[in-house]
Amino acid sequence: MKKVLFGGLLIFALLFAVVASGCIGGQTQTPTVETKTETQIKTETKVETQIQEKVFIRFAGWSAGETEMKNYERMINEFEQKNPTIGVKYEVITQMFHENILASFGAGVAPDVFYVDSSWAPIFIDKGALYPISDLADQSFIDKFYPFLLEPFKKNGKLYGLPKDWSMLALFYNKKLFEQAGLTKPPETWEELEEYAKIIADKTGKPGLAIYLGGFNRYVPVAVSNGAPKPWFEKPEDASWFDNPVVKETLAWYINLYKKGKIEREQQGLTPYVVQPGDVGAGWLGDAFGHQEVAMVISGNWMIPFLADQFPDFKYGEDWDIAPVPAGKKGRVTMAYTVILGINAKSEHPQEAWKFVEFLLGPEGQKELVVKAGHTLPSMKGFENDPDMWPQHKKTLSFKYDDMIVFLWGPKSGPLESKFSDAMAAAMRGEMTIDEAIDVMKQVVQEELSS
Amino acid sequence: MLSSFSSFYEKARNKEIVAGLSLISIAVILNLVFGYFAMIFALYLSFFKWDYIGEMQFVGLKNFEIVIKDLIRGLHGAPYLLSPFYTGLKNILIYTAIVVPVQTFLAIVLAAFANQKIKGQQFFKVSYFLPATTSSVIVALIFIWLFMKNGFINFALAHVVPGFQPIDWINSREYLLLAIAMVAIWGTSGHFMVSFLAAMQAIPKEIYEAAMLDGAGPIRRFFFITIPMLRPMIVYVVVMGLIGALQMFDLAWVMAGANGGPGGAGYTVALDIYNEAFTRIRPGVAAAKSWFLFAIIFTTTYLFQKKYGRAMR
Repeated sequence: MKKVLFGGLLIFALLFAVVASGCIGGQTQTPTVETKTETQIKTETKVETQIQEKVFIRFAGWSAGETEMKNYERMINEFEQKNPTIGVKYEVITQMFHENILASFGAGVAPDVFYVDSSWAPIFIDKGALYPISDLADQSFIDKFYPFLLEPFKKNGKLYGLPKDWSMLALFYNKKLFEQAGLTKPPETWEELEEYAKIIADKTGKPGLAIYLGGFNRYVPVAVSNGAPKPWFEKPEDASWFDNPVVKETLAWYINLYKKGKIEREQQGLTPYVVQPGDVGAGWLGDAFGHQEVAMVISGNWMIPFLADQFPDFKYGEDWDIAPVPAGKKGRVTMAYTVILGINAKSEHPQEAWKFVEFLLGPEGQKELVVKAGHTLPSMKGFENDPDMWPQHKKTLSFKYDDMIVFLWGPKSGPLESKFSDAMAAAMRGEMTIDEAIDVMKQVVQEELSS
Repeated sequence: MLSSFSSFYEKARNKEIVAGLSLISIAVILNLVFGYFAMIFALYLSFFKWDYIGEMQFVGLKNFEIVIKDLIRGLHGAPYLLSPFYTGLKNILIYTAIVVPVQTFLAIVLAAFANQKIKGQQFFKVSYFLPATTSSVIVALIFIWLFMKNGFINFALAHVVPGFQPIDWINSREYLLLAIAMVAIWGTSGHFMVSFLAAMQAIPKEIYEAAMLDGAGPIRRFFFITIPMLRPMIVYVVVMGLIGALQMFDLAWVMAGANGGPGGAGYTVALDIYNEAFTRIRPGVAAAKSWFLFAIIFTTTYLFQKKYGRAMR
């Protein structure tokens, strides 16, 4: 008897090994068909044709916190109630989202609907991973979105994704520090930005401006507002963007902000007027601004909920305010950051997936998920005067810009952004000259885009 | 069914075979899938151009050519952004040269202390081993705080070393790799201490007694008995240390970031393989680079084993 038991145990161990390796090896597929009991169909012979098989779609996103996840779960429930034949499986991938999605494409188990950050979109579009939304959506629906947000996701006349929300850069300034320095209004131009930063440092002993070491996307508005073309790198020859005299001049100005504002000032024994977050013991710009260690930062809408949440005593309107990004010689330009909802080109249920996307991105979905949540801006027009919109966000939407640049530099945006930023950071720290940095950036373009 | 199975099972030879196979099957299946299959697939992948989404495209040795070009460019002094693999390789060799000897030495010293019959040695053993039980990511995060410019390490050094100027460890090109190496040494010495402790306790007491009768003091006993008797364990620890250090990823990822921090000072080969596969979307090149790394690890450990490992057998 004991031996039989032991033998059974061994069989169990073997089975377990097989099952375990199967489970870990490949993600278990969700059943796509829910069988209805036969009796149901027989009793309702008249409506037999109406009983459809339930379809399941998988929806993958990252998460900006628990509230966002709960909001999505609520909306998914609502959607499932309205569409009883469609089930949605919500999968949150918290880390390295796009890498995960790519790997799931490699393994053939990619979700039906997933987030795609603008900087990653060209990879997915070029490789044919996204289903053309323009084949599924009515033109009238597409027309409700801000047109500049759609531009980067078009290819050969087709649209491959609709933005779920967006953020733009704006100037955040500390009113109290401005008052102490005797300044009455935020800076209007890039020159004024530097000048004000200096005044604040001299009068209050706190650095006037915080920027990131590197941060190519934060520099681009300076270049374009001074007359440089928008950066776009598709082939090796596009490296010539860095030969543009405006680019050279503005890049030198931007790098020198830190070199002159921090390194040289400290050598002279003065308070630096430009710092990076780490210099004031902060993790990022929002942190430095919230702790009131610096008077100005240029950052995006994502800073607004962060400040409201982490620094409740530092009040919008009284203590700090928002102004448009400073203007250059040729106008005022800001950056826009957006994430689209993409539909997997290989999805077996594109129609159902689209129904879900349409629900999330439609007025109802955006109101719940974006406007009320207060993290970002709605991608659909018409919410500008919505009473649920946070006043801070409303203010950023009221600014007038001559151009909006969506964060996207061509098919290799991700690697280019990080390498450009590294080269800029090296120049800011004084490890290489500005000309050397520009040279490295050009070589990076040639290297990344020559196939 | 069950009875026929049990009669088959009754036969002693069959019993052993079934028991043996079932017990090793879990490990073998996991190893086959995640070890050997992955390895062979990486070799296959290194001859292809792929973007995960579309079809694989055979490119022959092109991926290896990219790696060699990178190395050549690096040797000619190209900036780190243009020769990432060379930078990673250079850094990881320096890192290994610091970490492996120090951690081995420290582990022996710690084990020698823990092997003493002193009060509360159990407490020391536990506290030495504790870092090995902690996730390396959490260790790295804690050390980022300790290494900050106004952090504890600078504070402590300023009190010990006269005229010490605070170092911005994490944001400095010169010190970042050293900081990572220090964290690695702190984290792994305790782990290897346990190996040495076990080996020390296996040394026969008689040898020490004989040496004591001959008048050998504790220091001489340590160098002339303990160290030579530990030799097989030292070889094992160095080999394991080499393997671990050469493929270091976690500490660099957290402390230096995916791009290796300022001037690429904390960039490693493993980070480069990751970036190649997932940021530059060239899994073929990443596979080629991992075969380079494998070749390096294999030759170093093989040569070391051959030189020092065999003499004891």
